[in-house]
Amino acid sequence: MLKKEKKDEEGGKSSNPFQNLDKSTVLQESRVFNETPINTRKCIHILCKVIYLINQGVQFGTTEATETFFAMTKLFQSKDITLRRMCYLAIKELANIAEDVIIVTSSLTKDMTGKEDMFRASAIRALCKITDSQMLTGIERYMKQAIVDRNASVSSASLVSSLHLLKPNFDVVKRWVNEAQEAVSNDNVMVQYHGLGLLYHVKQNDKLAVSKLITKLSRQTLKSPYAYCLLVRIAAKYIDEDPESTENAALYDFLESCLRQKSELVIYEAARALVNLKNIKTKDLQPAVSVLQLFLSSPRPTLRFAAVRTLNKVAILQPQSVMTCNLDLENLITDVNRSIATLAITTLLKTGSENSVDR
Amino acid sequence: MDDRILEASLYTIKAVAILDNDGERIISRYYDDTFATVKEQREFEKNLFQKTSRQNAEIIMLDGLTVVYRSNVDLYFYVMGSQYENELILVSVLNAFFDAVSTMLRKNVEKRFLMDHLDVVLLAIDELVDGGVILEADSNNIVQRVAVKTDADVPLTEQTVAQVLQSAKEQLKWSLLK
Repeated sequence: MLKKEKKDEEGGKSSNPFQNLDKSTVLQESRVFNETPINTRKCIHILCKVIYLINQGVQFGTTEATETFFAMTKLFQSKDITLRRMCYLAIKELANIAEDVIIVTSSLTKDMTGKEDMFRASAIRALCKITDSQMLTGIERYMKQAIVDRNASVSSASLVSSLHLLKPNFDVVKRWVNEAQEAVSNDNVMVQYHGLGLLYHVKQNDKLAVSKLITKLSRQTLKSPYAYCLLVRIAAKYIDEDPESTENAALYDFLESCLRQKSELVIYEAARALVNLKNIKTKDLQPAVSVLQLFLSSPRPTLRFAAVRTLNKVAILQPQSVMTCNLDLENLITDVNRSIATLAITTLLKTGSENSVDR
Repeated sequence: MDDRILEASLYTIKAVAILDNDGERIISRYYDDTFATVKEQREFEKNLFQKTSRQNAEIIMLDGLTVVYRSNVDLYFYVMGSQYENELILVSVLNAFFDAVSTMLRKNVEKRFLMDHLDVVLLAIDELVDGGVILEADSNNIVQRVAVKTDADVPLTEQTVAQVLQSAKEQLKWSLLK
């Protein structure tokens, strides 16, 4: 009996070493952080446990969290990459619970500006998480440099962090638009996307600036499909807000040109934007509807779902435009994905005539 | 605001999660306050698991969210966004997530192995999405940036015979179970 129990325990342990973890035991274990020399593997494992517990929704008290946080700062002596990265992760997790987290500012600033590329990007993200508006001016110089850094992950990390900081620190972050502008012409797809994103979030409320941004970028070719999707959304919003504007014809052409892009992401985004425009004429709907019709017979469920969902919306306002897709929609009635089948049926109910119901 | 059009924003991802085959949370990250408390999150996850575990449909709408998902052996991977979000963007993130984890776990995408390398998976999620913004959607870049040496990274020639046999056995076992 005893033997069996032991075996069960072992079996359970190997299937999930994190099962039945106890907070106080883990906190106790985290005292290992103070030992020298640092036991890298053990410390990584304990940090992992701490993050896991927080993720499971276990509540940490301020004192407990602060103690663990301070013990963790000792680990910065180690040069092990994984351990350091786990520290950054734990800093971000504990930032909202522990007190005096700014204690790690200098360590993080050092990592952010250091030579080790593996540290820089994630150090920036951790640093921006603990930075308040007072400290932000202190690191502003480094942030600007990091945005235009040659390393894509560093550049992306600082752009995204700037975005998170934007709301409470608008006046500081808006001074970084020149750097963000430079990022938009970066060759890296993600840097370009993040650059455009930050730029738009800063300029959002300045109608003229947004208009200039769209006009300029819609003439360029962007490398990033994500950036294109964002630009499509910005353009569509602009058209909708001012339907009488003289620039709309050019913007409309831009949206339509996106239907001929290589990336499905962009094609779908453009089709979706076009059919959702408030003042679209029936004849202008056709190119977008044809593209969506092609997606209806895709082997990939998500593509079919996306297309049928969008067409369903069109059918509410303009059933006659969707009628050309009826045959493809009928094929979807028996789709294995129930959502697709349901959407196909409700769409057909709006567009179908009596004889198609019979079939 | 017209709800047919999504606000242009970098904040795209509402949550990512990995659940096991009982629908229990292994890791989930929520990036906004759609579900304010852990209790609400867990309820949502239970509901989500119930709806997705039986049919492999890749996409579902639930509680005003668009959820794309993939499963492997005893794990379920989820990426969630607003119901107005471009579904294809969510799928591209899901694929990057799954492929990165799969590469790092040497294709052993199953619970026991994942739990043994939880640190790597946590770091991968951190490289994938930052506060709701897609940080990187290329699985190779994610793997490169995590750059963690796991035991599995030891080249085949340097592994002991026992290790090789063990991993062969594992792979056979799971291929039979599938």
